[in-house]
Amino acid sequence: MVAQELEEAPKKPGPGSKSDGPGLNILVGKARQVIQEAIVDPVTYLANWGRLYSLWPVHLETACCSIEWGAVSGPRFDAERYGILEAFGSLRQCDLIVVHGTVTRKMAPRLRWIYDQMPEPKWVIAMGACSITGGVYFDSYNVLPGVDQLVPVDVYVPGCPPRPEELIDAFVLLQDKIRKSNIR
Amino acid sequence: MSMPLASSGLQTAQVAEDKLVVSIGPQHPGAGHFRFTITVDGDTIVDVAPDPGYVHRGAEKQTEYRTYLQSIPMLERSSLTDVTNIIGPYSLAAEELMGIEIPPRGQYLRMIMSENQRIMSHLYWLGIQGIFLGHSTMFMWPLGDRDIFVDLGQMIGGARITYSYWIPGGVRNDMPESFKPRALKVFDYFETRLKDYERIFFQNPLFLKRTEDVGVLRREDAIKLGVVGPVLRGSDVKSDTRIDEPYCFYKDLDFEVPSYKECDTYARCMVHLVEMRQSMRIIRQCLEKMPLGPVRVKLSPQQRTNPGEAYARVEAARGAMSFHIISDGSTKPYRVRISVPSMRNLIVLKKLLIGSHVADMPAIYWSLDYWPVEADK
Repeated sequence: MVAQELEEAPKKPGPGSKSDGPGLNILVGKARQVIQEAIVDPVTYLANWGRLYSLWPVHLETACCSIEWGAVSGPRFDAERYGILEAFGSLRQCDLIVVHGTVTRKMAPRLRWIYDQMPEPKWVIAMGACSITGGVYFDSYNVLPGVDQLVPVDVYVPGCPPRPEELIDAFVLLQDKIRKSNIR
Repeated sequence: MSMPLASSGLQTAQVAEDKLVVSIGPQHPGAGHFRFTITVDGDTIVDVAPDPGYVHRGAEKQTEYRTYLQSIPMLERSSLTDVTNIIGPYSLAAEELMGIEIPPRGQYLRMIMSENQRIMSHLYWLGIQGIFLGHSTMFMWPLGDRDIFVDLGQMIGGARITYSYWIPGGVRNDMPESFKPRALKVFDYFETRLKDYERIFFQNPLFLKRTEDVGVLRREDAIKLGVVGPVLRGSDVKSDTRIDEPYCFYKDLDFEVPSYKECDTYARCMVHLVEMRQSMRIIRQCLEKMPLGPVRVKLSPQQRTNPGEAYARVEAARGAMSFHIISDGSTKPYRVRISVPSMRNLIVLKKLLIGSHVADMPAIYWSLDYWPVEADK
């Protein structure tokens, strides 16, 4: 019912609104999407909504990309606006690993071990070229060529190191993914 | 994954009636990528076993199959907080082997970037020290101000933090004209800001209680153990590579090297604060004295060197950073050895922690400015 009302809503004169579908007012479109999702599967919607804006990353810094992670948590970029808290808590309360760059042979078992200890649901962001392919250390004897051999990666953030804006974009992408996912 | 837990010190274990072995890291609230195992008797630390090497990426080996210019981006990743200064000694040593002279404007630009990088590194250090002491404002303020200096570096270097700027043969490019007015404006702002820092963080009774008389490193121990940089200067030794073995044009400039008699964590913190002020003073002088002219000597991508050895040392943000290059006359170095300040300062961690309280551990650990990525290379 609410969805039907919303379909009629853009016909009223307003800024940016047109009578056809493609030119819909963006806010109305968003509201319709939210309400439709809430009506189709309210349980999934509620669970995902709860997870979306309270992502807690594990504080595991594997390499030098952690500098930009520090900048992201700083006041200029302020990732907390997007519902990411740089958590200083136990990994048993966390649901996100941001792999900060290079993973060496010594760090690799630790990363997997930490991933195994985290409760479901959990997500992984591979930050930096090193965690995707090995980056400038692709030919090193001690570096893992890509962290996706070790843990399932949800979002890749290329760059060496990625700019803070790119990392924030990755958070938004991950939130989109969570919004569309089915709960288990 | 199957992994032996108690035997490898990965889990907390009771080794005697009153002694407990606690594993800290590599996933812990402080700077990650480093692990140490401490043995505690009640609240007192009786033994420490540092376990570095989680970020060992083989930078020294990789320089052997890259040309002199190709190595630069890879080497600077070893110390992302301090990129200009880690390339400094490498370039100086390579230039010595190539036998080239750098134009004066290039030398001044090197000093400007190097000091700008020092301020950035110290601000990052101060922010993380705030986290370690549970002081959120102390994290937010320095990291916010750091971004202003990141922007200054970006005006010259082009990238946010990884501008392979200091290269063999000079610097990569000249600075824009708008840099000087912008830099002077930033320094005026930051000098008032440093006064605020001193008032709010360094005179904070809580900060004083957590750092004064904590982790005391006596002068003779500091010299004997061979620490470098702010840790050495915090232990009442006025030692600075910029004065002892001047490179670029540091001997023409007027600046002070701080040192403190207290030898504790607070003294090491104060050294960082004073150094930021001195770095701004150096950049101001550089901007005034800078001549016009070329900034680099063009080298061929396959530049060959004379066979031989070269050693160079600069004062990085964490202390003396040195490179030793052995060349056989080809386009690639035969062997490159890196001596980083972080590794030298790690040596005293065991000495400082034994006998101190568990609660003092974060403040002592981070006051050494130990950056594991740099130490492991």
